[in-house]
Amino acid sequence: MKNFASLLESSAAAHGHLCPGQVVGVRMAMLGCRLIDLDEPTRHDQIKKLIVYIEMDRCTADAVAHVTGVKLGRRSLKFMDYGIMAATFVNLETGKAFRVVSTEEARDLARYFAPEISGKHAQQLKAYKRMPDNVLFRVHQVKVAIKEFDMPGPTRYKATCVQCGQVVRDHREVLKNGRPYCRPCAENAYFSDAREIIRPDMNWAPEQSERSLYLDHLKLKQSNEAESISRKKNIYHINP
Amino acid sequence: MLKKIKLQEAVGTKLAHDITEIRPGEFKGSAFHKGHTVCNDDLCRLQKLGKNNLYLIDLEEDEIHENQAASILADALAGEGIAWKDEPHEGKINLVAASDGLFKVDTTALAAFNMVDEVMCATLHNHTLVKKGEKVAATRAIPLVMKRVPIERAAAIARQNGAVLGVKALRQAKVGLVVTGNEVFHGLIEDRFAPVLSKKVTDLGSEVDGIAFTPDDEELICQAIGNHLARGCDLIMLSGGMSVDPDDVTRKGIRMAGATQMNYGSAVLPGAMFLAAYIGEIPLLGVPACGLYHRITVLDLVLPRILAGEHIGKAELAFLGHGGLCKDCEECTYSHCPFGKTA
Repeated sequence: MKNFASLLESSAAAHGHLCPGQVVGVRMAMLGCRLIDLDEPTRHDQIKKLIVYIEMDRCTADAVAHVTGVKLGRRSLKFMDYGIMAATFVNLETGKAFRVVSTEEARDLARYFAPEISGKHAQQLKAYKRMPDNVLFRVHQVKVAIKEFDMPGPTRYKATCVQCGQVVRDHREVLKNGRPYCRPCAENAYFSDAREIIRPDMNWAPEQSERSLYLDHLKLKQSNEAESISRKKNIYHINP
Repeated sequence: MLKKIKLQEAVGTKLAHDITEIRPGEFKGSAFHKGHTVCNDDLCRLQKLGKNNLYLIDLEEDEIHENQAASILADALAGEGIAWKDEPHEGKINLVAASDGLFKVDTTALAAFNMVDEVMCATLHNHTLVKKGEKVAATRAIPLVMKRVPIERAAAIARQNGAVLGVKALRQAKVGLVVTGNEVFHGLIEDRFAPVLSKKVTDLGSEVDGIAFTPDDEELICQAIGNHLARGCDLIMLSGGMSVDPDDVTRKGIRMAGATQMNYGSAVLPGAMFLAAYIGEIPLLGVPACGLYHRITVLDLVLPRILAGEHIGKAELAFLGHGGLCKDCEECTYSHCPFGKTA
């Protein structure tokens, strides 16, 4: 693992700014990895051993993800919407897991650890670098039972919503009277008043298939030929 | 784990903790000690102390008693020059100075330590001069029974920079005084500075090796400093010529003598025009004229720290600001007043 200063620099660049939450996140990740005996979590041989549960969607979360390399789409990052400045680091190989919680008292102690700096933000930024892990965090050894359907890897199960026909992966369907429903159909979704639309620019795609390229070529050719005949016959279209 | 039992049912059981008796203005201490077996004769006195129930302790594997906790905490807090006995009274352990010296507190670590819910430690102010055997701090756990982990965490925090508490013995410096000023040098007035400074030096156990009188001339001041150094002085104190007048050239003389790390100005009144500088490892202290009028000045705050081996630089002089204002009381009670008690 790179040293703290380099990790903080790259984390802040990836996140968009340097803030006290970045310092806490980088240190939380360094401590978490140390606790589960992973010294290079982003290296290929270690990347698949690690799962991190992040309990907040704040600056700290980005720093933890940056340092550990965990990603939502790889299923190595689990977002638990608890609103708690904490993350749990799980070593899948050994089963060891530690929950690292950022202490609230660290905020009050910032003025003691960086008395020469005025301004809450700047003082916290400096103080969080100076506090020992024992002051900045509280650590619990925990057990994490990870369900088979939460593990990284290919989709293991699909169900189809009996109401709207949506395919639902990894057992995220809701059973009602023994029948599968997608969440939006089964319960209140985060959106409402859904109404399907279509727009002309939705025909755009970044790449085209061989067949559509050929059809485009034919269209162009026919159009050029038509123009050439028109010129020969001295026929012009006059726009009104 | 604690189990509450009625007092009448407690006969034959052992007390889980010291029971404190307080007679206002007269007595405060243990009426009964931990481990005392309760007998019928005790019941009346215990009731008078307001005890109608007592605790029986059945410690889980991961729990500890307040007395064990206090020992762990005292061990972690105590650094060099601190002594303590593993004999908690009412769950509390006193820490004392093992020798005369300057009491030092890592106030940052102390704050972090006290932020752990289960523990406390109260101390004298940082940089207090203490005598051997003097109580400098006391610690205890707050609950009667608690988990071991928070106590160990508090102990780890206390040890973050070695230890929170320490007493540094003052070195015996060989001090060279330089009293500057044309008025004294030419005999227009009698010098009053040398006796004042000499007393402050000897009161702290150091000796004045020589006193040089110079006019307000930077070259002669520089020469006087050089002579003291050549004789082996390891602390130079200069008086006068520290202000803003054209005749105030002491600083120039100090610089000419090869001083580096010169910090002129302290956040203390009296003593704003104080100067701390170094030639190699040897400190030079420039004492402004306020030292003649005021019994206690910035010098009394800085000199013990210098003798305890502390380096006095810009930050040290600046951080004295909070609490650095003398109230000029008619009857001076220093060191029992707020002067110099920075947070």
